[in-house]
Order: sequence, then structure tokens, then C-alpha cells
Amino acid sequence: MMKSHGCSWLLSFPRDAGDEVLEHGIEDGTSVLYLSGVWRLSNLGAIVDALRSLKLDAGRTFVLDGSRLEALDTAAGFTLFRHLAGLGCSESMVSGRGFDQRHSRLLRLVHERMKCPPAAARSIHLGLVQRVGAAAINLWRLLVSHNAFVGAVALDALDLVPRPRRFRLRETVSQFESAGLDAVPIVALVTFLIGVVFAYLLGQQALRYGANIFVVDGVGLAICRELSPLLAAVIVAGRSGAAFTAQIGTMKVQEEIDAISTLGLSPIQVLVVPRLAAITVALPLLVFVGDAAGIAGGMLVAAWQLDLPPQTFIDRLHDALALKQVVVGLVKAPVFAVFIALIACRMGMLVSRDARSVGVNTTSTVVQCIVWVILIDAVFAVVLQHLEI
Amino acid sequence: MDRVLEVDSVVTRFGAETVHDGVSFSVARGEVVALIGASGTGKSVLLKEIIGLLRPTAGRIRLLGTDVWGSSPAALNELRRRFGMLFQDGALFSSLTVAENIAVPFRENTDLPMDIIAPLAGFKLALVGLPPETGRKTPAQLSGGMRKRAALARALALEPEILFLDEPTSGLDPVGARAFDSLVRLLCDSLGLTAFIVTHDLDTLLSIIDRVIVLSAGKVIADGPVARVMRAEDRWIREYFAARAPAVA
Repeated sequence: MMKSHGCSWLLSFPRDAGDEVLEHGIEDGTSVLYLSGVWRLSNLGAIVDALRSLKLDAGRTFVLDGSRLEALDTAAGFTLFRHLAGLGCSESMVSGRGFDQRHSRLLRLVHERMKCPPAAARSIHLGLVQRVGAAAINLWRLLVSHNAFVGAVALDALDLVPRPRRFRLRETVSQFESAGLDAVPIVALVTFLIGVVFAYLLGQQALRYGANIFVVDGVGLAICRELSPLLAAVIVAGRSGAAFTAQIGTMKVQEEIDAISTLGLSPIQVLVVPRLAAITVALPLLVFVGDAAGIAGGMLVAAWQLDLPPQTFIDRLHDALALKQVVVGLVKAPVFAVFIALIACRMGMLVSRDARSVGVNTTSTVVQCIVWVILIDAVFAVVLQHLEI
Repeated sequence: MDRVLEVDSVVTRFGAETVHDGVSFSVARGEVVALIGASGTGKSVLLKEIIGLLRPTAGRIRLLGTDVWGSSPAALNELRRRFGMLFQDGALFSSLTVAENIAVPFRENTDLPMDIIAPLAGFKLALVGLPPETGRKTPAQLSGGMRKRAALARALALEPEILFLDEPTSGLDPVGARAFDSLVRLLCDSLGLTAFIVTHDLDTLLSIIDRVIVLSAGKVIADGPVARVMRAEDRWIREYFAARAPAVA
């Protein structure tokens, strides 16, 4: 170990590191920095500590001695140069000696590549106000682009009117099967259970007043006008909406959409119109299935809990449930369907070329569809109330 | 000679199909070796077996002195920190920025604080010749060549002793491909790395490779310096090297 003569040098021995990696001394009036031991990534913590406690006089030249170096890698070399630069050492102030040929080659490469300053790897964190603002702007842009998409779909669909042979019947039927027929069991199950629950809860109250028979009115109205359309739409949004976005999004990732355009076809006519047509037809049918299943659920509870035999239930239903209530429910369905199809296809088209965005957009589709379905349902409720329907 | 990779009579079968029928070779420290062979000769399969992703039916593979398929998962994970792998399309994590991608090996395998990792990740980018602002981009925003360089930076993060590259120049234009080749060679020479490259690219072979191993019909049919293998009698080898001739003439 070198003895220190000049007081201008503060010695630094990292004792906690086990092996010393850095020694500092004066030799013939020149200050020498000995690198020793293992200068590797695995030892980088100790190296950084040693370098941090090192204090050099600005403006003095010194020698880097590599003769005691056992191993060196780029991480350690980079850290060394970075700290020396941070201490205000310029290139002309440092000279090297005693380095193994491999080590000096490595240091040369590191030094050369460090000339472009290293990037700050930190991601930007936005404040609350900025986040709210950015989210609002993004939402606004999304709504505007949805609007433009509605226009594009309308034009392409109108374009099919004089050329009906371009309408893809086979694709439409296949989408109808997967979005409509395959959803029948789950829609029937869910609405049946809701019918059971609704009739049960309503029955508990009705029993107290001896008004058992009015359970029929309640179940019929609630299921046909509100619950069945809403539940069927939510199920279709979750099943088919998500599927549409994922299918179209994956096609986008694989550049299939571009291929469709290149072949002189309209992606909207090929992909969007069949899906739109399929669920616009399928959803009212699913709602009708839901109506029947929900009423069946109510009927079961009525017979079992409220002493209302099915025949009485049906007679009462005939009187209490006006046809227009059922029609209102069925009319809402295609409107929901159009929104679901447009949002789902649009979000599929918006997928960018990486794996993550398919997942992000699919999630967004389901959320947007459910929110829109409920919003439209509220609008229907208010408007129909004013029209006294 | 210090052998960093020894492949000893490896046999691979998928059902009735035999992919490798006793493949043996070794790689010395500091060599830049290429593995070539026609499509379907199991080059990628062999690479997966070497880096411990796919178990061979029979045979032994020793990588950096560790028996890849005879050691515990813990020892295998220890080994995995000592080599780097560049996948064909980079395999960068698409949900992270490029700088975060390069920081992943540091974050998972060292206990260094972020204020050391961030500049190190930035330096790795510079090491593979990418400008600093690349670090803030996501992999989807990069061109093919930049994505390969970024993936190389991630593969180099933990200062590997051996680097495996799967088709490093596929999908790059000739200029970009040659630049990538010389980067690999420069890194190998400067850092004392060993490189094992699976490739189809004849230009890579002729420019940066010390030794070439030819795989055909489940066996190694040639193994030696490029100039010697070029003159081999095998029909596939002759056609392979002749494929370049019209362009040269």
C-alpha cells in the first residue's frame, strides 16, 4: 500500500467491501489510482461505494493502474468512467498503465461508446390534474373518431344497397351462429335465474298484503321491458363484443386488414357489416328467449311459494302485460346491438402492432359497451316516459 | 483449450421423427461460431436444448462447465445469468419501454438501486449503437434493426460470457445486416465474448465467423473454418455456398 505524502489527497479504502477494489497513492509525485480485484457487475455495489468515497483534486493529472485487476466488465468500466467524469476529470488528465490487453480493449470500447450521453431511463409521472386532463382529451378524441367510424360504416353499408351480391351472407350467418345461437343457453340461464330471484323478492313483500297475484305484473313488466334486454345486451357485449375486438385486433397485428385493402376490398364491408348485421338480428331474438326464460323463472317461484298455479299465472300475465311492453324491450335490442358492434369493431381497428394492445382494447370494448348500453337504456326510459308509451 | 460449450451425442426425437441423431461438437472460449443447415434440420431446436428450454431425448450438453440437463433448476438459473440470448424477433417485452426492457435483468438479478441501473441501461443502449432517446420508446415504435440492437443490449445486460444469436440478420436490409454483424464481432473481440450464431446468412458467415458447423440429416456433416467447409464435397454445402455466386459474378 502506498504511503500518502500530499495532504491534497484523501485516501480511500473501502473496508466494508471485503476485497479492496480501489487504492489511491502517490508515486514519484504523481497520483496513482490502483484498480484491483474483481471489477464486475456482481461487485458493482462495492465499486460504486469506493468510487463515491474517492475525492480527487480537480485539475490534477493522475494515472490509472490496471496491473492488479483480476476481471473487468463493461458495467464496471462504465461506472468508473462515469464517476471520473462526475469528479470533473477530463480525458487529458487521465492516463492508463499496466492494463491487460483484453481490459484495455474493453475500456477503449466503453469509452468510445460513452461519447453519446446515456439516456435517462425514468418514465414520466403525471400529476393528478394532468392525468384527468389527458384522460378527458383522449376520451373526447375517441368519441370523435367513433363518430367518424359510424359515418364510414354507414357509407360502406349504403354502398352495398345497389350491389347486394357484395354482402357477405356466409360470414354473416357464421357470426350469427356464434354471437346469437351459441349465446342462447347462457342468456336463458341468466334471465331464468333473475326471474326466480325477482319473483322471490317481490313475492316476500306481496305476501304481507295478500297481493300475491300482482307478482305476475311485476315480473312480466320488469323482465320484458328492462331486465331481459339489458342482460342479453351485457352478455353479448361481454361475449361477442370482446370476440370482435380480439379477432379484428389480431388481424390488424398480422397486417390482414391491410391485405384486405390491398385486394381492393373494403375492410368495413368484409369485417364490420357482417358482424353488425349478425348481432342486430341476433340480439332481439336473444331478448325474446330471455323474456320467456325470465317469465318461466317467475312462474316457478309463483307456483312454489305464492300458491299461484301456472294456469293462473298465465291468465294474469295475459291481462297485466301489455304487448307494447314486450315490444319496447324488443325494440331496444337492435339499438344496443348496433352500439356494441360498432364499438367492438372500432376498438379492434384501433389496435396497434403489439401484443398488449389487443388485451387493452378488448377490455375497453367490454367497458364501453356496457356503459353505452346502460346509458341508452336510461335515454329510452326518459324518452318513452315523455311519449307516454 | 477452455471449452465453454460441449454438445455430446445429442439425440432428439419428436414421436417417430428423429431430428438429431447423435450431434456432437464443442466451442472454445472467444470463438465466433455459426451453426448452419437447411430449414427443418433442427438448428433452432438444438439452440433451445443448449440454453435449457427443451430437453433432448438423449445425450449431454455442457455449457460453461455445467451439465444443462443434469443440474437442479437453481443451478440452471445460475447458469442462465452467465449467457445471453438474442431471439429471432428480439422478444422485447411489449408493455415496457426499451430502457425498462434493458433494466429488467438488472432489476431481477442484482440488488443495485435504480440510480445505478438507469444510467447502466442507458450505457448498454450506447454500447449497441442506439441513440439515447430510443430508451423512451416502446418496442412497437422501433424498426426491425433497432429492435434487434435493443434486444442485444438486453442480452448483454448481465455481462454474459457466451452469447447465443438466433438468425440475427433475418429481416434486416443488407446494410443493416452487415452493420449488425460487425457490431457482434466488435463486441466479441472487445469483451472477450464467445458467440454461437444460428444463421442462414451467407454474408454473416463470410464476414465475421471463425468456424462453421453444418447440420444435415440429424448429424454434423462439417465442422471447421469457413474457407475449408466451403470446399466440402457435400451437395447441400456446395449448393448453399453456390447460392451467392450469381450475385458475385
